[in-house]
Amino acid sequence: MTTTHHATDETLMRYAAGTLAAAPAIVVKAHLASCPACRARVGEYEALGGALLEETEPTQMSATALNDVLAMLDEEDAPVSFAPPPLAPVEIEGIRLPDALRGCDIGRWRWIGPGMKMSRVGVPQDPDANLILLKVGPGRALPDHGHVGTEFTYIVSGSFSDRFGRFLPGDLAEMDEDVEHQPIVDKDGECICLAAMEGKMRFKNVIGRMLQPIFGI
Amino acid sequence: MNEVFSPIQFDRKPDVPTGRRLAVVSSRDVQQPPSPDALVEMMLKVAQARDRQAFALLFRYFGPKLKTFFLRWTMSSLVAEDLVQETMLTVWRKASYFDADRAGVATWIFTVARNIRIDHLRRHRDPSALPPDPETAMDTVEDGMLGAERDAAVRDALTVLSSEQQTIIRLSYFSEKSQTEIADELGIPLGTVKSRTRLAMNRLRALLEDKS
Repeated sequence: MTTTHHATDETLMRYAAGTLAAAPAIVVKAHLASCPACRARVGEYEALGGALLEETEPTQMSATALNDVLAMLDEEDAPVSFAPPPLAPVEIEGIRLPDALRGCDIGRWRWIGPGMKMSRVGVPQDPDANLILLKVGPGRALPDHGHVGTEFTYIVSGSFSDRFGRFLPGDLAEMDEDVEHQPIVDKDGECICLAAMEGKMRFKNVIGRMLQPIFGI
Repeated sequence: MNEVFSPIQFDRKPDVPTGRRLAVVSSRDVQQPPSPDALVEMMLKVAQARDRQAFALLFRYFGPKLKTFFLRWTMSSLVAEDLVQETMLTVWRKASYFDADRAGVATWIFTVARNIRIDHLRRHRDPSALPPDPETAMDTVEDGMLGAERDAAVRDALTVLSSEQQTIIRLSYFSEKSQTEIADELGIPLGTVKSRTRLAMNRLRALLEDKS
């Protein structure tokens, strides 16, 4: 899968530093699985974290800290290698979803407007996360909205286009709060995407206003 | 990466090579910071031979730095020490996941500490928690540069940044402060924080692209 729309460097740095909120981090992680270029950049930002850690001034540990940890090692068996349990694919009604959603609570599709369904995704580590799956029919517009904070959209299947170009599976659309855009699903099929918002959405049309209560805004 | 490693440069011999317990030696006793290769050698000894002496050396070098790292996230000294211990215990347990071709020891330990911190926040139901996955922490490194080269390039790039740019980068790694809060702390306008961050990132990007 070749991706053409990527995460910004600032986002990748926040991901590597561990300061990106849970919902955007899941969307970015889905993109990383299909984008070697962004993975390499995250690797660089992790190396930056390593370099910053090494130049950090030390703070004296308590006198017993090392011996305490060594005593804990005594209680360890030798779990040198972990056999990861076989993992079932993540799905919604038979449709394969990114592994980044593993552990999330994925609801059923709910009708939210003509040719448009939504599933709210529960993120166990962040009950307030704004993470949704959208399924929008061919030729239809995604809910018209502006937003507070950055919005991250990962294309699971199908495609949409807006004034920034065409977004295909694996692509990430990262839109700043000051960007107003109107994605339209391409005519050759429905589009499923995973969207996270850092802030709250501001919908402008009827469907958007219908979404508001679902988001709990 | 199986060439001969440079010998570990320490001024004194660790004193208890065979016993189950080791004497605590404060970080002041370690005069020279170990080279990246020396750290890799220690890490491989931990992974392959379950070498406690090598583990103790890593603990003495990284423990006090990790404590500072956790303290920067406004944790109490007690919590910070607990998380250092948790981090180093994870380093011991997951040592076999360390791959010197993919990342240096400091980078790997940084990702372990980052995930421990996120997990700690998650236990406190903090909204900024991210799912921890230490197993896949190393999957991100994938470009042509070997871990050691890449880490060295990043270290060099960091030193070339202006001190203002370094401060901005450090704040974005070691605190959850928003750009507005960073602006308040540094006493500069928000727009300046934004442009300085962007400049620092672009500079870093240009330096890294020169190397690869």
